[in-house]
Amino acid sequence: MKAEPDKSGGIGQAVMFRSRDFLKWSDEVLEGVLRRSPVGAGIDLVTKDFFNWATRNSIYPLHFGIMCCALEMAVASAPRFDAQRFGVIYRSTPRQCDVLLVNGPVSKKLKPALRRLYDQMPEPKWVIAMGECAISGGPFYGSYSVVPGVDQFIPVDIYIPGCPARPEALIDGIIKLQKMIKDNRKGLMTGR
Amino acid sequence: MAAGESGRIGPSIDIERARTRIDEEPEDKVVRRLMERFQATISEPAMLGKGRVRIRIDKKDLFDACRYLKDSLGFEHISMISAVEYDARFDIVYHITSYQSKLLLELITTTTKDDPSVDSVSSVWGGANWQERESYDLMGIVFKNHPKLERILLPKDTLYHPLRKDFR
Amino acid sequence: MAEMWINMGPQHPMTHGLWNLRIKVDGETITDAEPEVGYLHRGIEKLCEDRTYTQIIPITDRLCYGSSLTWSHLYCLTVEDLMGVEVPERAEYIRVMAIEMQRIASHLMWLAAYAADLGMMVGFIYGMRDREVFIDLLQALSGSRLTYNYPRIGGVAHDLPHNFDRDALRACEYMEKKLKEYEDIYDGSKVFMMRNEGIGLLKKEDALNLGVTGPPLRGSGVKYDLRKDMPYSVYEDIDFQPRSHPACDCYARYRVRMDEMWESCRIIRQTVKKMPKGKWRVVAPRNAPEGTGFGRVEDPRGEAVMYVVGNGTDRPYRLKIRSPIFVTVSAAPKMLIGYKVADVVAIMGGLDMCIGEADR
Repeated sequence: MKAEPDKSGGIGQAVMFRSRDFLKWSDEVLEGVLRRSPVGAGIDLVTKDFFNWATRNSIYPLHFGIMCCALEMAVASAPRFDAQRFGVIYRSTPRQCDVLLVNGPVSKKLKPALRRLYDQMPEPKWVIAMGECAISGGPFYGSYSVVPGVDQFIPVDIYIPGCPARPEALIDGIIKLQKMIKDNRKGLMTGR
Repeated sequence: MAAGESGRIGPSIDIERARTRIDEEPEDKVVRRLMERFQATISEPAMLGKGRVRIRIDKKDLFDACRYLKDSLGFEHISMISAVEYDARFDIVYHITSYQSKLLLELITTTTKDDPSVDSVSSVWGGANWQERESYDLMGIVFKNHPKLERILLPKDTLYHPLRKDFR
Repeated sequence: MAEMWINMGPQHPMTHGLWNLRIKVDGETITDAEPEVGYLHRGIEKLCEDRTYTQIIPITDRLCYGSSLTWSHLYCLTVEDLMGVEVPERAEYIRVMAIEMQRIASHLMWLAAYAADLGMMVGFIYGMRDREVFIDLLQALSGSRLTYNYPRIGGVAHDLPHNFDRDALRACEYMEKKLKEYEDIYDGSKVFMMRNEGIGLLKKEDALNLGVTGPPLRGSGVKYDLRKDMPYSVYEDIDFQPRSHPACDCYARYRVRMDEMWESCRIIRQTVKKMPKGKWRVVAPRNAPEGTGFGRVEDPRGEAVMYVVGNGTDRPYRLKIRSPIFVTVSAAPKMLIGYKVADVVAIMGGLDMCIGEADR
């Protein structure tokens, strides 16, 4: 930590940090104290349910369509099976998403790209495997270039069967994800 | 399709004469002209149905035949290039369409198993470019003089050709 | 200004389907382009060599999921050519009616996605809402919303449900009213016209040479439609006009697809009127003879071809599929060079890419 006085000799004394050092310092001082002390637990008690309610009612999936189930994903935000009433809005960049909806067979060429997308998403994140192809390879099981199931390299939370999965099934899967988020609620400060 | 448009697309044939010649048995006319020009290497013409002809040709005359088909006989569009593997040979099947005379020609060449290579026709029809790359990728047929013969469907560092019969 | 290559990579909100477009930009102008496909390769041609002829029909559905009936119909045509099976006339009319409904649904899906890309969310909402009408009809016919598994070798799987012709005519009337509304919305929108006119020129000689087929070819002035010029099934007895447009830009391709929807409504009306009575399926032999079969249809995206080689057993020896989008994507650099990065969306969207069929 580098604390230097303000060299311009002005009024008062300013303390300068490098940004990396500032993050470390704030992590130690502010969050560390909050996490280990009863202050943190108290804040969690008050805000845990509220933050959890906000998270589960604003699930943002990634704009990522692989195959036929992607059309059903698009239809799920169409006027007939409106998914926006559950708070689902599609975002284009993985940095702003909560959920990765894998909706098609993953070929060996796509595997590194998909893993990279998953790594680019910030915590907390969930993965929904939609359709038979993402669960186990689907009708293309046994092909030389299809990975049999996306849970071979990405941890999956919800599986939605169907070939293609109907939009109602996708919405049902999202509601189950909401229930799962509600049951596993954790506070932001203490992580408990 | 109106005859006026066909005159603009195709080669410089006299429109009125071409129309009457096209109306009587265009399949026979195509076969006859190909056999006149490539007598030594053409064999087995067969009529497969209304507007469809099949012919076999040796692979060393393939490029000339394709250029002749495009320039003089008015076959502007290549529909499909397939590669089939038999026990002792590879067959490469070209389906070529003529918009003017509404014909489909199935042109088959053969190449041996230990050195599967054929001349590329992508300088005659640009649409053949990616189709030949796909045949190379999946079946392993090398197309000589292709502008960019690389793998297209499988990852670039794959070592095998999956559509061969001895693969798994 | 330095030039650099940009990846409009596999995950992109614009790309319908999974492909990579590498463009070389100089500022905002594109100087070179190179599409990359293959992220969806499932090895279908190899899988088909292990399955019987009837087991392949659901797989051909998933080749292009935007218009899956066309592909299973094409497969059945090819195998019927190989086996020499004669399909009853009622089955042919049912197939044509279902295919034209699928064509309208596919074009509406394209329109919805295209409008959403260009920023007109109203087009997305309206397009999806109207597509549901035809998806409901096809669901009544076959049981599934998207991949139908409906044609069989020798006919269709089931007969028409009760009152289907009345519902089909109602759907056509509804669609024609809505098509008039769409023309007001799109042709009257200055932003849409500016983003489409004069963008993505593809001259007639280039289109013919590069193997482009379907609406992009008809949008460049070549009036060639396989349903009229090399008719298959019962298209010889049906009266309709293939539509083309002389301006070779994105607006022409949009216009061709809208006109095709009008023509499809006409075709559906005629098939409903002419539908004969009789059987809807004949039983096809289990083993195919040795030989080759060939089939070709006019897919909503272009010319789709299949070639099957039989060897006396009940599995095909080789099945080769030609997809229109595979060749049209290779013509993309011709259409992109010289335009700005923001035009990529309009140009590539106007080609109606469904990468499932390109990668097989």
